[in-house]
Amino acid sequence: MKDEPAPLLELAGARAAYGPIEVLRGVDLRVEAGSVVALLGPNGGGKSTTMKVCAGLLPLTGGELRLAGRRVNGLAAEDAARLGVCSIPEGRGIFPNLTVRENLWVATRTGTRLRDMEEAAYTRFPMLGERRDQLAGSLSGGQQQMLALSRALGTAPAILLLDELSMGLAPMIVTQMYDTVAQLVAEGLSVLVAEQFARAVLPIADTAALMLNGRVVSVGTPGEIEDHLSSGYLGG
Amino acid sequence: MTTFLTFTLLGLVLGAVYAIAASGLVLTYNTSGIFNFAHGAQAMLGTFLYWQLAHGWGWPVWLALVVVVGVVGPAMGAALHAVIMKGLRDTADVTRIVVTVAIMLGMVFLSQWLWHPEEARVVEMFFGADAKVEFLGVVVRVHEIICLLVAAAIAVGLRMLFTRSRVGVVMRGTVDDPDLIRLNGHNPDRVAALSWAMGSTLAVLAGILITPIGGGALEANALTLLVIDAFAAAMFGRLRSIPRTFAGAMVLGLAATYVTAYFPTDWTWAGNLRVSLPMIILFVVLVLLPQDRLRGAAVRTRERYRVPTVRRAAVWGVALVAAVVLLMPLMEDTSITTFGLGMTFAIIALSLTLLTGYAGELNLAPLAFGAVATIVAFHFGITGTGLAARLTLWGILLAVLVAAVVGGLVALPALRLRGLYLALATMAFGVFLSNMVLRDTVEHTLFGVTFSLFPNGALIVPPLQLGPLDLRDPGTLLISATALFAAIAVGLVALRGSGYGRRLAAMKDSPAATAMLGQDLVRLKFGVFMLSAAIAGLGGVLMSTAAGSVSGENFAIMAGLSLVMLTVVGGIGYVSGALFGGLMSGVGFVIIIGTFNDLARATPEMATIYQTLGQVVLVATALIGMGVGKNPSGLVHDLFDGYRTLRGARPVLAGGAAAGAVLYLLALTGVIGNWWFAILTALLVMTLPALGRALMPRAVLTEEELARRRSVPPELAGIDEPYTDELRDRLDQELGLPAREGRGGPHARPAVEEGDVHAIA
Repeated sequence: MKDEPAPLLELAGARAAYGPIEVLRGVDLRVEAGSVVALLGPNGGGKSTTMKVCAGLLPLTGGELRLAGRRVNGLAAEDAARLGVCSIPEGRGIFPNLTVRENLWVATRTGTRLRDMEEAAYTRFPMLGERRDQLAGSLSGGQQQMLALSRALGTAPAILLLDELSMGLAPMIVTQMYDTVAQLVAEGLSVLVAEQFARAVLPIADTAALMLNGRVVSVGTPGEIEDHLSSGYLGG
Repeated sequence: MTTFLTFTLLGLVLGAVYAIAASGLVLTYNTSGIFNFAHGAQAMLGTFLYWQLAHGWGWPVWLALVVVVGVVGPAMGAALHAVIMKGLRDTADVTRIVVTVAIMLGMVFLSQWLWHPEEARVVEMFFGADAKVEFLGVVVRVHEIICLLVAAAIAVGLRMLFTRSRVGVVMRGTVDDPDLIRLNGHNPDRVAALSWAMGSTLAVLAGILITPIGGGALEANALTLLVIDAFAAAMFGRLRSIPRTFAGAMVLGLAATYVTAYFPTDWTWAGNLRVSLPMIILFVVLVLLPQDRLRGAAVRTRERYRVPTVRRAAVWGVALVAAVVLLMPLMEDTSITTFGLGMTFAIIALSLTLLTGYAGELNLAPLAFGAVATIVAFHFGITGTGLAARLTLWGILLAVLVAAVVGGLVALPALRLRGLYLALATMAFGVFLSNMVLRDTVEHTLFGVTFSLFPNGALIVPPLQLGPLDLRDPGTLLISATALFAAIAVGLVALRGSGYGRRLAAMKDSPAATAMLGQDLVRLKFGVFMLSAAIAGLGGVLMSTAAGSVSGENFAIMAGLSLVMLTVVGGIGYVSGALFGGLMSGVGFVIIIGTFNDLARATPEMATIYQTLGQVVLVATALIGMGVGKNPSGLVHDLFDGYRTLRGARPVLAGGAAAGAVLYLLALTGVIGNWWFAILTALLVMTLPALGRALMPRAVLTEEELARRRSVPPELAGIDEPYTDELRDRLDQELGLPAREGRGGPHARPAVEEGDVHAIA
């Protein structure tokens, strides 16, 4: 046996379904410690479902989910969060009827102090500091996404799951968001990011995986996958 | 001035207690999305227990308080959450409401069982009614000061909880997005359990504080309806904001005492008005609330209903009438009268099938519309006097029309809002009717006309005569009511299949999509509510004539709620569910309790046991109601599903029919009693699908189910008969293995377990 460390997060033959409709049909995916994996593919390919499975929001119907080599099928989302899986779901990962500060407070369940959370968030995004007592729902889309990302900043997770970070954001803001992600990666964070718009995420990815019809059809370096992309999207 | 100050203070005290009750309601509604109709019943149960400890058993007041408020209150809430509320995810509003209504009924039955309702019980004020303080010429009791202080402490405490503690912030976050709460490492179930425990505690506290203020007499129904005062107050904050709920509670409390203080004493209805005030305020607030935003997504729920064809419904309608005709020779006259009464209840229940089953809206007080129609028919629809008095067809038509119009008026303020608000409005209307109209028994003069709406507290409603059809005869009444039920039921099925019915179904599934297709939702709801109220009115008049004489009790809000509950238990989407619900709530209880009472009389040495059994049955019906959460589509749905599979197994169906016929003949000839006939027939109907599965699996089960039964595929097991020693020896010989020592020895164990062999066969 090789003495290679187990990947931080691994899906092996993962299957998942919404009621009778099977969405994941045997997904194989590895996120090595310290790497950024971009999950690409068109709508309906199963990217968001894969993210939900990794976050513990949706149980597997087959296959395995492993965290640092340990099989954790059936792990509850709240336990996953406490183990260091930080998941920012599609849309905005914030509570619109709580203030900015209260949003950060909710995130302290993972053992961080509120003061540290606030400091990390406001240092990175001074805008949030100015609006700490404002309801999060009244922030702009970009600011809301900054707030969501602050959770990853303050809680020092082992792995960050990002689902469609770019959704509904101006291209400039998207670039800014991925800059932040890149800085987190430089500090040693592992990231699994699902993204429809490959251009935004490929520059920071170490590995890219293309998902079609509930399966990962190809895995490779960003450059290799970029060449496959058009055929993946266009069905060629 | 002193009077004003005194009443203002009393109003604030009352408001303070309302606020405590209402904040508990808002708390649970917001963290779990379930509007708890049992909130008042929880208060009631807690207060009874407090009375038992402090007065019944003479415990010190502080100890009783610690046990009831500190232990029983939270435990009751947490238990409700763990056992029932947790299982209500992805269910329709109707199911959630019915489950809490069932809990409420169960608690009322339970309290009446444990604490006999006719015995007087008084909860005294803290430190006694004589402990007073004088302040600026106003005399205040210590108990009242305690109420104010507790409310203030709770207001501050809740404020601190929600803004200064993480668990409170998480509770607020749960409202926004429970999944995101989990992604942040919190368990939303634990948060919900905590809020149920707190809500329950607040309810119990409110009950203990309010009972002495209202005079001290402990009465189950009155305390249970505390929930109405609470939701009227909560409505000020749109069921969300706790500070506004407190403000609303104060308005409510002040209004109530000012009515008592400043209305002329010779207005006999002022006292009734005081009781009805929460409902009136509720309606005013409903009118003032801004329009609800339409939610975009379709409502995905676990309820499933199939729509029968009109022809099939007609066949079943004829079959129902035929069955009733066949049953009549078995029954005595009194049973026929009871059965007829039950059938009129079933007609009222049909109004719910249309409104709730087809259109997804709710009416928690169907009997109230029956009461309206009865009052109109009594005042305007009777010809002749004494025994010759008869109800006219015109009288009934007028009554139905008025019921429809009143229904429209009740529904109008709530139509712009979500279904829950309509349910609240109807319940408030039901209570208002019980308090104001059905208690309007003394004559008074208004605009020069002397009248009373409900003279002497009981209306004698004579039977209908229509040409040769005279409903005085119980048999004629039963058959007419059955035929009418069948006719309306077929009509409703036809309506469901029509374009109008599809519009209703669309509105139920996705209001937003329906609106975008150009439908006027308000008009659609308005129309269907009026139609439903008309059906309820028709059933109500018939019920009154079947009963002969009706009092306010016949239309009590609890009776209406149990009708709603049992109809949902039966299956709200089916007309047969209405038949079940109507018969059960109209007469099922009466028969069951009556039977147990008869048994108790017949065998005095077992009397207590039988009476207890009667109570257990009552509480058990409420348990069935709570089971709706597990099976939201209703009993009838399961039964239909069972019979649908029997289609291919004609011999089983024929056998069942033959067995039914034999039972009928045995009953007719008096070999078996009616009870045995009823029980055996019910058993036969319930078990036939299971019998079919056991006897003719190939005809009944689907391919998948058959495949599942063959746990080991035959090609893997390779055999379909027991593996005997002889076979084994032959196999050993073929394979050239040494012969075994001695037959039947330790090696004689068959290679395949017996279970497997059976599974294959």
